[in-house]
Amino acid sequence: MTLPDRAIQDIDDDAGFLAEYAAWLWGCGATCTRLERNVMRMARALGADADLLVLPGHVELAVTPAGGGAAVVAVRKMNSCGIRFDLNAALSRLSWELADGRIAPSEARVRFRKIISAPPTPAVEVVLMASVANAAFCRLFGGDLAAMITVLFATLAGLRLKQLMMGEGHDVRVAVLCAAFASATLSAGASLFGWGTTPGIALGTSVLYLIPGVPYINAVSDMLGRHYLCAFSRFMDACVLTACLTAGLTAGMFILGINSSVL
Amino acid sequence: MSGSIFINIFLDGLFAAIAAIGFASISSTPRRAYVACAVTAAAGHAVRYVLMRPDLLAVSIVPATAIAALVVGVLGVLFAPSIKCPAEVCFFPALLPMVPGMYAYHALQALAMCLASPGGAGFQAAFGAFASNGLTCLFIVLAMVLGANVPVFLLKNIAFRATR
Repeated sequence: MTLPDRAIQDIDDDAGFLAEYAAWLWGCGATCTRLERNVMRMARALGADADLLVLPGHVELAVTPAGGGAAVVAVRKMNSCGIRFDLNAALSRLSWELADGRIAPSEARVRFRKIISAPPTPAVEVVLMASVANAAFCRLFGGDLAAMITVLFATLAGLRLKQLMMGEGHDVRVAVLCAAFASATLSAGASLFGWGTTPGIALGTSVLYLIPGVPYINAVSDMLGRHYLCAFSRFMDACVLTACLTAGLTAGMFILGINSSVL
Repeated sequence: MSGSIFINIFLDGLFAAIAAIGFASISSTPRRAYVACAVTAAAGHAVRYVLMRPDLLAVSIVPATAIAALVVGVLGVLFAPSIKCPAEVCFFPALLPMVPGMYAYHALQALAMCLASPGGAGFQAAFGAFASNGLTCLFIVLAMVLGANVPVFLLKNIAFRATR
């Protein structure tokens, strides 16, 4: 059975597979440009042409056999696994393995299932590393040792709280708001008890681990690729999370009677 | 004097590298990419530090960020094939220490202050702070992404084939 024959025969399956692949790749934080390139590459390897419509909530894929014929349209809901660069790298590698003929289409489907079921970085490892990272970030803003230690523990508590809330199925916006509140109130200790000489920097940087940096960057990348709908969607998602962070921080400062001029 | 400048540049790069690795872990970056992320972040942030220091080049934050992001983009694209990851896996964590988080939430705080003081001088001050912080944040993100994407488009054959 030649490759084009197989593609014509299984065109329904191919369209579903490619649409699901696209939904996962978008969900794990790939730009729309990469999405298009990878999906087109895989479609060609399957002996088909693909037209991709990327919408903020869904992906629509029209797959046509390379030799001509009726197109099959597959629509999939975008996956919401959060930013996962390990998936991004593995899915991109999968597209090349299929395109270069190193794996058969059936094996590609098996590999795809294996990739998307891989666990993310362990939660405890993330909390520890992100806390140290945020303390280092505090130092970049001019914080002293006391501020760095304060930020370390404030991040540790806030991020763990966010992980627990997300694990219990709470909305990400509520989790970010609560995490920002927890981190802000803990780091406000530097201002209230006079720890170190840079308590304002400790308070200001203690919530920066919650800034959705990758969506902001992806939004501009999509805009440059003329995917304006996705760009706007990603930008608004990032703005809403930043607003939740700001609300949590401001609430913490308000309750503890800390003036915003310390930031 | 010059010795302390070099120490400060080194420390800036070092702390940016630590921040990049930690933020990379939040996004489940493959462990094999950590060293590349750290080196890229250190180089990018140190370049921005040198450009922005008042006693050195005193470049303002937006062009300094664009140039630093260009360095990050070039290194990200060059490292990508050796770590078998897309270029953005390498340079996104390196860009994160430059994301203007403080400007972003200062802008939103100022916006809330606009609502709290609907008229007069208080509103004007709050709106001024919102516009200043919001535009600075926007331009920094634009500069970052433009700077980092230029090498991706100039070196397409490397950037989009890194995982091959």
